[in-house]
Amino acid sequence: MLDRRIFREIDWSTILLMVAISLIGLVFVYSAVYYQASHYVWRQMVWLLVSLFFLLVSLLIDYKILLSFSFLFYILMNVILLWLLFFGRLVANTRSWIVLGPFRVQPSELTKIAVILLLARIFSEYKEDLMSFRAFVVSSGIVGLPVFLTALQPDLGTALTYSPILLGTYYLAGMRRKYIVLILIVSFLVGFFGWNYGLKDYQKKRIETLLNPTQDLRGSGYQLRQSKIAIGSGGLTGKGYHKGTQSQLRFLPARHTDFIMAVIGEEIGFLGIFLIVGIYFLFLYRLFATTFMSPDRAGVYIAFLSALLISCQFLINFMMIIGLFPITGIPVPFLSYGGSSLLVSFLLCGLVINVRMRRFAFI
Amino acid sequence: MARIYEDLTQVKRKSRIILYLLGVILFVLLIFYWKIQVLDHSKYWEMAEANRLRELAIPAPRGLIFDRQKVVLADNSPSFKVTLIREAVKNYQETLDRLSRFLGIDSEELKNRIERYRFLPAFEPVTIKDNLKLDEVASIEARKEEFPELRLEVEPKRYYPFGPAAAHLLGYLQEVSVDEINSNPEKQWHGGEMVGKSGLEKQYNDYLTGLDGKLVEMVDNLGRPRGEVSRIEPQNGKNLAITLDFDLQKKAEELLQGREGTVVALDPRTGECLVWASSPAFDPNRFITRFSPGEWLSIINDQGKPLENRAIRGLYPPGSIFKIIMALTALDTGVITANSTFYCSGSVEMYGKEFACWFEPGHGSLNLAEAIRHSCNVYFYQLGRRINIDTIADYAHRLGLGQKTGVDMPGEKEGLVPSADWKRKFLGETWFPGETISVAIGQGPLLVTPLQIATMTACVANRGEAVRPMLVKKDKEERERKKIGIDPEIFETVIEGMWRSVNEQGTGRGAFQPGLDVCGKTGSTQLISRETAERLTQKGEELKKTHSWFTGFAPRNNPQIVVTVLVEYGGMGGQTAAPIAGEIFKMYREKYAGQKNL
Repeated sequence: MLDRRIFREIDWSTILLMVAISLIGLVFVYSAVYYQASHYVWRQMVWLLVSLFFLLVSLLIDYKILLSFSFLFYILMNVILLWLLFFGRLVANTRSWIVLGPFRVQPSELTKIAVILLLARIFSEYKEDLMSFRAFVVSSGIVGLPVFLTALQPDLGTALTYSPILLGTYYLAGMRRKYIVLILIVSFLVGFFGWNYGLKDYQKKRIETLLNPTQDLRGSGYQLRQSKIAIGSGGLTGKGYHKGTQSQLRFLPARHTDFIMAVIGEEIGFLGIFLIVGIYFLFLYRLFATTFMSPDRAGVYIAFLSALLISCQFLINFMMIIGLFPITGIPVPFLSYGGSSLLVSFLLCGLVINVRMRRFAFI
Repeated sequence: MARIYEDLTQVKRKSRIILYLLGVILFVLLIFYWKIQVLDHSKYWEMAEANRLRELAIPAPRGLIFDRQKVVLADNSPSFKVTLIREAVKNYQETLDRLSRFLGIDSEELKNRIERYRFLPAFEPVTIKDNLKLDEVASIEARKEEFPELRLEVEPKRYYPFGPAAAHLLGYLQEVSVDEINSNPEKQWHGGEMVGKSGLEKQYNDYLTGLDGKLVEMVDNLGRPRGEVSRIEPQNGKNLAITLDFDLQKKAEELLQGREGTVVALDPRTGECLVWASSPAFDPNRFITRFSPGEWLSIINDQGKPLENRAIRGLYPPGSIFKIIMALTALDTGVITANSTFYCSGSVEMYGKEFACWFEPGHGSLNLAEAIRHSCNVYFYQLGRRINIDTIADYAHRLGLGQKTGVDMPGEKEGLVPSADWKRKFLGETWFPGETISVAIGQGPLLVTPLQIATMTACVANRGEAVRPMLVKKDKEERERKKIGIDPEIFETVIEGMWRSVNEQGTGRGAFQPGLDVCGKTGSTQLISRETAERLTQKGEELKKTHSWFTGFAPRNNPQIVVTVLVEYGGMGGQTAAPIAGEIFKMYREKYAGQKNL
């Protein structure tokens, strides 16, 4: 079953791009936490190796086999999420972590893979040009269950990162464009009016902390301000590696996680940002390109939803740190410090590579 | 297994659209980044600099003050203080509570102290406790990490080695008030800075104040210092040499011990002040540390008014001292000559009212010099009846009364010389000739400061040349010696009377010093009516209800020192004030005998 040809088809350039971006992240995590006695860098290195290992292992298994187990996987993950709600350890006010010795994993991240796989399996049989109401209900339900369980943890930030998966499914499955636009407009209006008129201050405060657990006592205004100062003061070429005053003197909050891009902007300037965006876009392009060559519908779904998920996380973070999007605790895939986020990102891309390398398998 | 080829063009096209969209969005976002990072770079750069840099003043030591023999009267000593940087405070109330417990200051008072500087930029340190003891310094230093908002600073602190000596002259320092900071932006005072609030410290504050240095340091988000960026060393304030003779000063203060009063001595040739003692005094060192409100009240409400600089702020009737001016006026206007005599029978009736001499048996017939010697009231009543009040006021003004002497000391009072105009204006009444009779012996509405009397005496000693009293030596050109328009000959008669008063068993005999031709005049100001005084005497109570004055100079020819003494409730002038002046003359002679022609 394991054809040698398959291995020649492993997409080494995508893997290389992933590792490269992760290493750039590591370099700036090192800079960001330099004055803190911590093991961030070592830990992240271990996570990187672990992720790489799991990526390669996952490539051994045909994604079609994974698809056939997807329902089971989905059920399992939701059971874990449910279990967490009752027996999970409270870490930073949420029950979203499973603690394994020095490492922590966030099952709600891993669940995204299960959701994507299940959607791909179900919609691989769905060949209509227009999305039916039934398809709408089924896909919403599949995404809605883990979102609901995650929101109860309560981890609103992670719950919201599921939305690209759902919207992407609507789009691919052929929901009329006007409905998609309607959904976007309605959710914007509900968000806007709900926030400004519906909620009381303490409720907003509570939601803010849920969306953004690393928030400073001085409020998200402080974070955004410091982030913009860091990026703006970096200028064209930056203040130099390890010389960013905003990050080194700790004015910038969550430097090694949510605001790692601000550290990059400060220390290597606009040119650095441009370079990172360039590499990242190249990488995202590779992911999307897989959809173009996928042999089957399930493969298109897998590659598209994974690529969209990573793209959206990157975009939101990239907008958030200069104030174009509300501050929510969304890290940059591969760049930010965070083990389970890195692992899940690697596994997601593993699925995409898996699709790509098996496009000729049966010819 | 046969492969079923599906038509995937639709989904692939959709994926392609999203990819293109992604590219466009990233491109637009890069434009935003270009705006922030390149176009608005300088704005954010400044904000980042403001974040990381903190400017702190390095206090410059104040200039020293020393007397004419280079005795240091105001010095500096290092002192530790702890300041709070509000910028670094995260939770205000919590920090207040912690600090209050840690430093042992009442939380309300601590809050007030900080609130006072609310208007200052938050990065400026506010002093919350100074004069720290060494163990306090150690405990703050040890808990640096726990209190990143606190800073320990060493600052040169004013120190007066002789405590209350010459306190009124030197003045005291206090923390600059919020109002003063706001109303004097050009002085660039910073919160907690000590500035002169009285005396020479106030008068010469700008001269004594150095130029603060500047320290720019890097700080982290909690305000903890993370290294020095630049430093400009402070420049010391300039030293101030004053004309005071501290030996005489100490002597004068010793003589005033336990009394309320003042001793002023000056060199009539230049106006240089040699002694400036005011009693009771205060210790200016106590003002350097921040008072608790209670301490303040106890000083302000003290019955003896220790803060009052009596030499220039105490207003007293001149009493018989004013007879000097009456004598000069009478001679200069030609109302009498040196030989004119009047008869004193112990009292005289004028305008239907009886005016008594202090010596009930009467002095008999006497001329001007004798009248001054015995301070005969009747003689001067006679002058008062013959001279218009406005003429008297004119001469009093020429001799420096009723106006500031212009000494280099803040807060001087003018005193009061009444005239017909004055009465009309302020009381709305016409002047009665009978009132002139009281003025003739220095009673009535007359009010003078002891320094005015000293200045007047200097003018007499100079035979009609007025000097302006001073505490800091001026260049010859700046000194004023101004003729007041009375012939020097006229002074000789008055001086003769003053000489006899001291040397020939007159009222001023207490100031007699063998070998030193002291000339002087006593004064006693009645504070209660004569009837009350008599009643008290009958009851056998000691009668000391008058202020005791003496003013004089020495030697008679070529005068070198003027001494003016006022003792509140000191009794008759000859009784208390004159002997004190005598002691000063004595010490002056002993000290300068070798150097000067005495």
